[in-house]
Order: sequence, then structure tokens, then C-alpha cells
Amino acid sequence: MSELLAIEVAYATPGRQTLIALELPAPATVADAIRASGIQSRFPELANKLLDVGIFGRATTMAHPLKAGDRIEIYRPLIHNPKEARRIRAAK
Amino acid sequence: MQLLIEQINSLLPQTQCGQCGFKGCRPYAKAIAENKADINQCPPGGGDGIAALAELLGVSPKPLNPAFGTHKPKQVAFIIEQDCIGCVKCIAACPVDAILGAAKFMHTVIAAECTGCELCVAPCPVDCIVMQIVDGPDGASKPERAALAKRRYEARESRKAQEAAEKMEKAQLKKAALIKPKPTV
Repeated sequence: MSELLAIEVAYATPGRQTLIALELPAPATVADAIRASGIQSRFPELANKLLDVGIFGRATTMAHPLKAGDRIEIYRPLIHNPKEARRIRAAK
Repeated sequence: MQLLIEQINSLLPQTQCGQCGFKGCRPYAKAIAENKADINQCPPGGGDGIAALAELLGVSPKPLNPAFGTHKPKQVAFIIEQDCIGCVKCIAACPVDAILGAAKFMHTVIAAECTGCELCVAPCPVDCIVMQIVDGPDGASKPERAALAKRRYEARESRKAQEAAEKMEKAQLKKAALIKPKPTV
């Protein structure tokens, strides 16, 4: 009987934030958590796509092993890259 | 003493804003228990919070000390995505892990987890975080929100402590590797 890891899978847009709590048998990876959460079928924009993922604010890889309590996060790109954003601000 | 601290902490709103002058609700609860802080230093708790504390401690309630701030309606942070540069400063500041994002990726406030503490507003170098008043019922009740915030705060604190311990251990190993034992002649 392997240990169960209590984790969460999270994805957020300004209008809607989703946290899915899961228990996975150890050892498990980020990819396992995302698959088990079914989050890609809930959000069409995440389906069939390489995801940018991380744990508690730090980007990581799909193969990263999980610890109990981890929040696996799916990230969205910035609207402007920081340099471009700075130019826009400077022009204002 | 521990029990008293827990009892006091359970009456605090778990906003973790630090307006009381302590680094979160539990440190404030500890200070009250040790007679190092007064019961009227918590603006988010407001008059109701002070009344509850007064009842628990068997003292008479008093008005909120304005030196610590004013009681405001419930609000949550919101990120203006056009301006976010993905700097992670707000994520580092959030006491309850209510902001989702990483370096060079979009940051998003998880509204249901945000305590409205405003600690993310000042660190943002591009001023892209605004506070929005939550009008009307927003799902969870006050005690439910407080319980969630308490759990998130505690989880974050223990995670940070573990990270700090791991970092220290790594540094010590590195140091030990640098200081090679003197060769015996």
C-alpha cells in the first residue's frame, strides 16, 4: 500500500479560478497530477497543448516529482513581454 | 498558554495583514495572550472582533485603535493583466498563497482565497494590483473563509520554514566541501 499524496491542481483566469484537490499514490509527477485532475478537458484552451507548469510560484517540468501539499499550477503567458511593457509605460 | 493562543487566534479574522504590528494573526494572538498587545489592534476584525476577544478574556470591549487602521468592507485584490510583468513580487508577499503565477508568466489572484490584506499592492513595481470591494454574498461564510486562510497561512509558513532549513543545510554542505581538512604532515 503506497502513501497517498494530497495535492491540488490549479488554473486561474481573472474571471474564474479553479482548484482541484486530489490524492495520488506516491510516487507521482506533475504530469500525473494534471492527467488525474482532468483539468485539460474542463478548459478548452488547455486541451492538446504543451502546458507551462509550476509548484507554488516556481516553474518546473512535467516530470517533477510531487510532495504532499504541493499546488500544481498551470500558467498563462504575459500579455506584453516585460521589455515591451516598459516601453509602453515610458511612452505614456 | 497554547490553548489560550489558539482560542484567541480562532477569533481573529485570519486576514494575515499585519496591521496589528505583528506578522500575522497567530503572532498577534500570542502577543495578546502574553499581555504584550491590546485587543483593539485588528482593523479587519473591527468592533465585532474586539467584542469577541473581550468576552473570551473577560475584559470590557473598547473601540478600535485608529493608529492601526480603519475597518473596511471586505475586498479582494485584482491584477490588471495588461500591466503585469510577471515579477513574482506579489506572490512572495501574499501570506496565504492566493496568487497563482511564476516568473515571466501571468499572475492571477484566486479571489476565493484572497483575504484582502493588501500586502501585494505595495511591492508591485508597475502598480497593477487594485483592491476591489466584494459586494454581496460571495459563497463562503466569514468563518469558512477564516478557516481556509488559517490553513493556507500555516501551510505556507511550514513550507517556508522547510525551504529555509534545506537552504541552510545546502550552504553548510557547500562550506564543508570548501574547507578541506588540512593535510597531516
